[in-house]
Amino acid sequence: MATPSCLRARGGHGVPPLQLMQVALRILGILLCLFFIQAAARFGLSRMFTRYALITNSIPAADEAVRISPSDPEAHRARAMVFISQQMPAEAVNSFETATRLRYRDDYLWIELGNTREDFGDTEGALAALDEAVRWAPYYAHTHWQRGNLLLRMGRSGDAFAELRKAAAANPAYTPNLIDLAWGISRGDLKTTEALLENNDDAHRLALFRFLFAAKAFTEAYEVSHPSDRLEPSLLNGGFEEPLVFNDAGFGWIIAPEQKNHLAIDISEKLNGAKSLQISLDGNWTPGTALLSQTFIVKPGKTYRVSFGVKTKDLVTGGPPLLTVIDATNDQLLAKSANFPTGTTPWARLSMEFTTLPASQAAVIRLQRSNCNSSPCPIFGTLWLDEFSIEQTQTVKN
Amino acid sequence: MNQKRRNGSRVIAALLLFSIAQISLQVGLAEPNNTTNSTTIPQQLVGRLTTRNNQPITVNGLSANTGASILSGATIETGADQSATVTVGPLGSVYISRNTKLVLTFDEQGNLKALIINGCATVTAKKKATGEIATEQGSVKKTEPAAGGVLKVCFPETAGTPTNGQTAGHGGPFGLGTVATVLIFSAYGAEILVPFIIFQRNPSHSAP
Repeated sequence: MATPSCLRARGGHGVPPLQLMQVALRILGILLCLFFIQAAARFGLSRMFTRYALITNSIPAADEAVRISPSDPEAHRARAMVFISQQMPAEAVNSFETATRLRYRDDYLWIELGNTREDFGDTEGALAALDEAVRWAPYYAHTHWQRGNLLLRMGRSGDAFAELRKAAAANPAYTPNLIDLAWGISRGDLKTTEALLENNDDAHRLALFRFLFAAKAFTEAYEVSHPSDRLEPSLLNGGFEEPLVFNDAGFGWIIAPEQKNHLAIDISEKLNGAKSLQISLDGNWTPGTALLSQTFIVKPGKTYRVSFGVKTKDLVTGGPPLLTVIDATNDQLLAKSANFPTGTTPWARLSMEFTTLPASQAAVIRLQRSNCNSSPCPIFGTLWLDEFSIEQTQTVKN
Repeated sequence: MNQKRRNGSRVIAALLLFSIAQISLQVGLAEPNNTTNSTTIPQQLVGRLTTRNNQPITVNGLSANTGASILSGATIETGADQSATVTVGPLGSVYISRNTKLVLTFDEQGNLKALIINGCATVTAKKKATGEIATEQGSVKKTEPAAGGVLKVCFPETAGTPTNGQTAGHGGPFGLGTVATVLIFSAYGAEILVPFIIFQRNPSHSAP
């Protein structure tokens, strides 16, 4: 085997080539390790400065982070955040632009750039940034949501709601916010709200109904839930002929969750029809709390009479049950029935009249107890309710 | 023969007309829907929400984040570790401190009003706008449109003071705190010294 000339030059006692290569490789490995250690140290140090810059809003620390690791988009982003906190939007925009150049697929960076450009008054630039955000994350809700909000502020409400609807379609968690914006921008006009929302399924209509009900827009909520009905006061399922639905909100009967085991539909006792509501009382029922309630539509400034049937069995209490009617918007008491009879009594019809307030949209009928003279104040026995009805009696004249 | 030819021409012409009508109909049907909603909405001012550290706050009982639109009449609520600013373009801005609930109203006539239910708020009104802070007891402070200005109110007064969300410095050259500064400089020194020791080279650039 021929000996390489470089080894021969050392008098034939040179290192074998394989060993030389191994040494070279080891040196290369060590150099690479040192390089990576140094790179990691720089990166780590930059990130440390980045964190402290963000915590303390220190521009010198942010500058140092960028100087140590100029190709780290996170350092530029942090610098931009610090500029924002120091009310320096122009510098923040520059830093965000550098960050987006370094990490152009990051939709959150584009959103931050868009928001900062908008702060700086550059709405077109902001829209361009949010266009990029949507481009890189077209199936995510937050990009459409941000772009839609910007378009809304730019006065392009049609385009804005098209974008906002996309966001709500991608993530239904945005639906209540979408409805809130539509209701607000349309200044409480249901037709415009519906047009902006383009409600086309039951889920959307239910969401709109819940929003309107929570916003105490009862008339509109009723229109949404009963589109084909006339806006006339009525008590739903007043004879308890249909199953009780344990709604948390709406126009049906609402039963206090802790009391639902005490209520049952009874087919053996009824004033009319085939069923009634039986309430078994075992002692606990805090006076003043409603065991059963229903919100119903009323017209402002009108007088109504609510009638119902009641029967009791072994009802013993110092605070007998009664029905009250309050205004659904401000909880003002409108009427109170007579106390229910105690002991055991046959079916009896009770009624009460009330006049709605000038701005009333809805009222709430509540089954509750009279206040007791002593505490504790238990209640025992059984009572049945049936045949709730409401009728307008006369118009109050000013 | 001529009659036959004439009839043939008529049939061809009729067929051609029918075909064109069909194409027109198809093109008409294939026209894309106008995606822009035709609903007319009166132009109105819309504010923009910026939350501290992009933390969500509550607007009208719903979670809202930086970039959300704020309409006049919105009820805004911040939690214990949250604060936010609502910018209403030509009118100014309202800074909402932590643990604050307020109702924000504004209009095209230049009125920017924060009705504080509880907590602290700072209204910064631009010139030609009227900034106002009110509580349930009535108007507390108001700016003049000619001058604009900054109003700061806490309600009840024991609620605290607006902080504008800026953390005070902690000392040290960067305001990082003494320990943090020592740590950073130790790490930075190590970063400089490591290549110097290993490679025996000057870490500074050869040319200024």
